[in-house]
Amino acid sequence: MLKNKTGVSRRLLLGAAGAATLAAPATLRAQAYPSRPISLLVPFATGGYNDRLARAFAPFLSRQLGQPVTVVNRPGGGGMLGHTFALQQPMDGYTLMITSAGPYIPLTILTRNARFAVEDFWMVNLPSRDSTLMATSRDKPFQSVTDVLDALKRDPRSLVVGVQPASADLVNLTLLFRAHDIDVSRVRTVTYDGGGPARNATAGGVIDVGFVGGEGFLPLADRIRPLLTFSDERAEGFPDTPTIMEHAQQAGFQGEYLDGSQRGLVIPTRLKDEQPAIYARILEATEAATKDPECVSTLQGQQLATRWYGPEASNRAYLEGASLMQRFADILRGGA
Amino acid sequence: MIDLAAAGSAIAMLAGNPQAWIWMIPGLVIGLVFGALPGISGSMALALVLPATLYMDFLPAIIFLTSVFTGAGFGGSVPAVLMGIPGTSAAVATTFDGYPMSRQGRHNEALGAALIASCIGVMLSYAVLFVLVQPLAEVVLRMGPFEMAAIGIWGLVLLGSIGSSSLAKGLFAAAIGVLFGTVGMNTAGYIRGDMGVSWLLDGVPTIPAMVGLLAASQLFALVNTRFIVANEEDRKISLPRILAGGASVLRRPVTVLRGALIGAGIGAVPGVGASIANLISYGEARRSDPEPESFGQGNVKGVMAAEAANSSSEGGSMATMLALGIPGGGATAILLAAFAMHNVIGGPRFMDENRDVVYAIIMSNFAQAVLLVVVGTAFVFVASSVVRMPLRYLIPCVLVISTMGAFAIEGSHAGPLTLCVFAVLGWLMARNGYPVAAIVVGLLLGKLIETEMLRAWQMAGGEWGEFLNHPAALVIGALMAVSLIWSAWRDWRRARARRVAASAAS
Repeated sequence: MLKNKTGVSRRLLLGAAGAATLAAPATLRAQAYPSRPISLLVPFATGGYNDRLARAFAPFLSRQLGQPVTVVNRPGGGGMLGHTFALQQPMDGYTLMITSAGPYIPLTILTRNARFAVEDFWMVNLPSRDSTLMATSRDKPFQSVTDVLDALKRDPRSLVVGVQPASADLVNLTLLFRAHDIDVSRVRTVTYDGGGPARNATAGGVIDVGFVGGEGFLPLADRIRPLLTFSDERAEGFPDTPTIMEHAQQAGFQGEYLDGSQRGLVIPTRLKDEQPAIYARILEATEAATKDPECVSTLQGQQLATRWYGPEASNRAYLEGASLMQRFADILRGGA
Repeated sequence: MIDLAAAGSAIAMLAGNPQAWIWMIPGLVIGLVFGALPGISGSMALALVLPATLYMDFLPAIIFLTSVFTGAGFGGSVPAVLMGIPGTSAAVATTFDGYPMSRQGRHNEALGAALIASCIGVMLSYAVLFVLVQPLAEVVLRMGPFEMAAIGIWGLVLLGSIGSSSLAKGLFAAAIGVLFGTVGMNTAGYIRGDMGVSWLLDGVPTIPAMVGLLAASQLFALVNTRFIVANEEDRKISLPRILAGGASVLRRPVTVLRGALIGAGIGAVPGVGASIANLISYGEARRSDPEPESFGQGNVKGVMAAEAANSSSEGGSMATMLALGIPGGGATAILLAAFAMHNVIGGPRFMDENRDVVYAIIMSNFAQAVLLVVVGTAFVFVASSVVRMPLRYLIPCVLVISTMGAFAIEGSHAGPLTLCVFAVLGWLMARNGYPVAAIVVGLLLGKLIETEMLRAWQMAGGEWGEFLNHPAALVIGALMAVSLIWSAWRDWRRARARRVAASAAS
């Protein structure tokens, strides 16, 4: 083993250095942060929205933090594996996340007994808000949401609808059909384990009507006829499509809906509480990167969301969504 | 359907741009190496080189990535032939006849045939793409659960009892595979068989399980052997014999053409891809051959059919990606991400507005297929030296690389753990005469069949008659029935002829 002249072993020196670092006040360490590359964890597979957002955003975040930011995918279990992994990392600010916090964090708690709580995650900024879109193929005869509902009222078995099980989309479908006294259990419902397959089936006319997140439909916009957006304002990509609120007013019932994906930069709440200085640095860097004009134009070019909402608004939206999901837990747990 | 003006400008685009050419060979080599490492898939290779393409222009970037894609498509077959361990899940069927050929000392011929069948597969599929990109994508988008379930069942019927002398043992192994394929969450959101382990929620990690099963059963069977090829004479690596193997492909146009068409068609279906195409093409070649029992014993036609299909599914998946903007699998998802990095959104609008770029991509893939003949031959030449390596060094190396690959693909210990568990299972099964290949087939097809049959049932609303409304599924089902009855009749006639001959002789 290598020994230096004083006879102190290298391991002892290293240990002492480590202890000194640990003993140093938090502010001192924060000044050094970040002193090494940062991982940007994506709990979903490559090629999805979160992955694209992370890869597009990473260079701008890196510019602000002065350290390389590398994207790491850790997919599985509807985000559960990646989210659990993030909570298990040291609270040193070297693991940040880009994820669909809503609905996946509350969803895995409600339906898959995930061992974390909604409050364990802190939203730094959630620029991407997606809503369920009810759509049909261009080849199908339905021109509006009323056409579909009328057909289902006459015979609930006349149409095939497609949806992801245990999703915000399923809650929205159930609420809409319930409001029109359509027996949801009799409607022929095909379940898809992913938004992509559900959208393909809608666009190809394999199913009559699909209920899926709207943003993913943009590349297929030429093949589908959007019927209804589940939001209180019209979707950017589908400005001519009525919202559930407009529809509810017309039909004379109280409109209710659940937000779709809420995606953006997320950290463990413990990191914010235990390391306020590091958190301040992350917050500042994320805000600056999000507002960087070059970042805005790059992300917009890739149809990715870039707005700065800040932690306050983002956490409010996230917690609201989570409590609504709690309310509709019976629908979510019911499977298909 | 071919836009001649756009084709002309595509040629000009490629001719006037040296950048479009210099990345092809590095891309092919990267793809070959990554594809050949067991457990590391083509999509991982693409993900690793993706950041490098940020600094290239759009066309060179896409050409570089498709070169990696093409290289990886063949790379997986090299360990499949030499060691019976597929480098990627798309090369499972290649092991069925490729590895027996190697053990007989015909590794040169097997690799040559695999290479040329792959190159022809790539070329044919892009030729299909060149002419039919739009209609192919349209057909694929309309494929519903009934049709997909029929394809999956076809595969299982063709291959369910593969590699076994006993039908019962084969079916038992395939059933175990199907059961493993159903672990985790099904498409309706129900969780079965995960035993409370959260990484099993998405099912048993397929690639580590497959590598574990095949590696254990092949490598442990070699324990008292000194070399893969027993005869020292045959351990030579011979360029003429590799080329002779390649030339033999040209004498079997039907096998290769059928494989390429199956590959292009099935590869185009989102979420199915090369591994299923590889199995079904092999199964079809075996079924329609006058001597089906020679398959699995080192029949070069099996290698050709398997390789033509897994390579041609690249072109098929490109069709869905280019025409619809839908990624069929991991590799095309990364290609779409590369599009996005250059601010290009794939899909119908991109096709309409940039037909010349699409044609340039397709034409460059023809060039890649031709280059693959040269680069692939050199690669095969080098890689074949494993047959000269004593097994006491080779086996530990392969096991270590497989374990690392399993870790890389899962990103956690779930990969190596799965590999170990399935290695033990594979060893036990092989020792007791159960065909390990059938478990792998069940594992790969089980998930597809369960998902699609469940959706078909949901769509029918529980009514059996609904499948009569799906003519395409009926046609696939009818073809399946006719071909099976025909094979059975042929076997029966041959058996009777043999009996008659035997009784006449006595």
